[in-house]
Amino acid sequence: MDPLVLAALLVWGTVVGLDLVSVAQSMIARPLVAGAVAGLLLGDPAAGFRVGVLLELFALDVLPIGAARYPDYGPATVAAAAVAAGSPWELSLGLAGTVGLLVSVVGGWSLQQLRRRNAEAVQRSAAALAAGESAAIRRLQYGGIARDALRSALLTAAGLAAAWVANRWLVLDRLTAVALTLVLVGAGIAAALGGALRSAGRSRRRRWLAAGLVLGFALAVLR
Amino acid sequence: MTGIGRALLRLFAVQGVWNYERMLGVGLGYAAEPLLEDLKIADPVRHSEAVVRSAEFFNCNPNLAGLALGATVRAEYDAEAGAQVVRLRSALCSPLGALGDQLFWAGLLPALVGAALAAVVLGASGWAIVAFLVAYNIVRIWTAVWALRTGLAAGMGVGRAIGGSWIPKAVPLVGHAAGLLVGFALPLVAMWYLRPFGLRGGVAVCLVVAAGVVAGRLFGARMTGSRFALVAVLVTLLFRLVAR
Repeated sequence: MDPLVLAALLVWGTVVGLDLVSVAQSMIARPLVAGAVAGLLLGDPAAGFRVGVLLELFALDVLPIGAARYPDYGPATVAAAAVAAGSPWELSLGLAGTVGLLVSVVGGWSLQQLRRRNAEAVQRSAAALAAGESAAIRRLQYGGIARDALRSALLTAAGLAAAWVANRWLVLDRLTAVALTLVLVGAGIAAALGGALRSAGRSRRRRWLAAGLVLGFALAVLR
Repeated sequence: MTGIGRALLRLFAVQGVWNYERMLGVGLGYAAEPLLEDLKIADPVRHSEAVVRSAEFFNCNPNLAGLALGATVRAEYDAEAGAQVVRLRSALCSPLGALGDQLFWAGLLPALVGAALAAVVLGASGWAIVAFLVAYNIVRIWTAVWALRTGLAAGMGVGRAIGGSWIPKAVPLVGHAAGLLVGFALPLVAMWYLRPFGLRGGVAVCLVVAAGVVAGRLFGARMTGSRFALVAVLVTLLFRLVAR
């Protein structure tokens, strides 16, 4: 991979990692967005869309509420796009999605570690906070953001390394590659459907979900 | 009161030092700093106490944090008793968390993602993603401005202001939209992926979807979508290894 492209992917992965929680939450960390931009950077926008849509299905299963542990799909999607770029998506999507899911799980773990490090920093500044020092609050804030930037950069770098290993060493036969793609598409749809059913509960939203499924199915068949 | 613009900008990084000790607390203290500057001149002792309170434990949905920020800062300027300000802050955690999560994480976000997914697979590609980002950020920035202004105006009466606002009415509406749009997108996305694989591919994917939904029902929250997928990948690889 071209070093400039690699550097651009590293920067993009870091930015989307920061966007997930610490700064902005503008939703560029959504796989759909992260994948599309990563695909553009890699010169294969179609691969970025395919990977982004797939991982977005899994992200729809997640409610990032309070102290819940949830995967970090932004840098993971960048890594997955790096696996998928330049290959027919029917054969590469399964492996790309698997790499993406593994990186997202590591990302979820890294977020917990970050929160622990932040808590330790807050404990170390307890006296200054109790004294009402605004400078201590600012130091903690900037330190937390810097730690998250480092976490996101390391996660993206690890994801891109995993993508390189997958592209170089994991050569799947055609049938296995197609099977993995189908399995991940099915699992993604199950995840999104499960998330939608859970959010709907027993409320009227379930009827709206059913209506949407019928409409979508009708349009899909008619096209 | 000065510093409203800077406080608003800082609210977009309110989770910058999210932690298990004070959760959003320190981030809210960071956002409060510019708003409390006038108090520093008028009443330095009160300012110092207010800074301490501003960074104590707090948690809610980040998009509605401005309501708590504005209300507590107003209460500090109104010279409410410190214990009252702390009680107000604690009392706002649950309602702002529940309303914000329902409005944004379980409502607006899946609704717009569903619309964007459908648009992408119907051929809109990049424009769908730009539209998604613009629509989401217009709503959340407008909400942040509204929340901070409402909190600053209402002070200790912020609970009534929230109850009478648009938020409780919008929650079910965006929830219904989310159900409809996610439901609409899923068959389209499935067809987008399955077209090259024909009927056999479709049947295989339907079996995986059924297994995933059943596994989710059987194992509950422990069987997340990504866990099921990784288990399914492992089973597939083992099966292919044995079959060879």
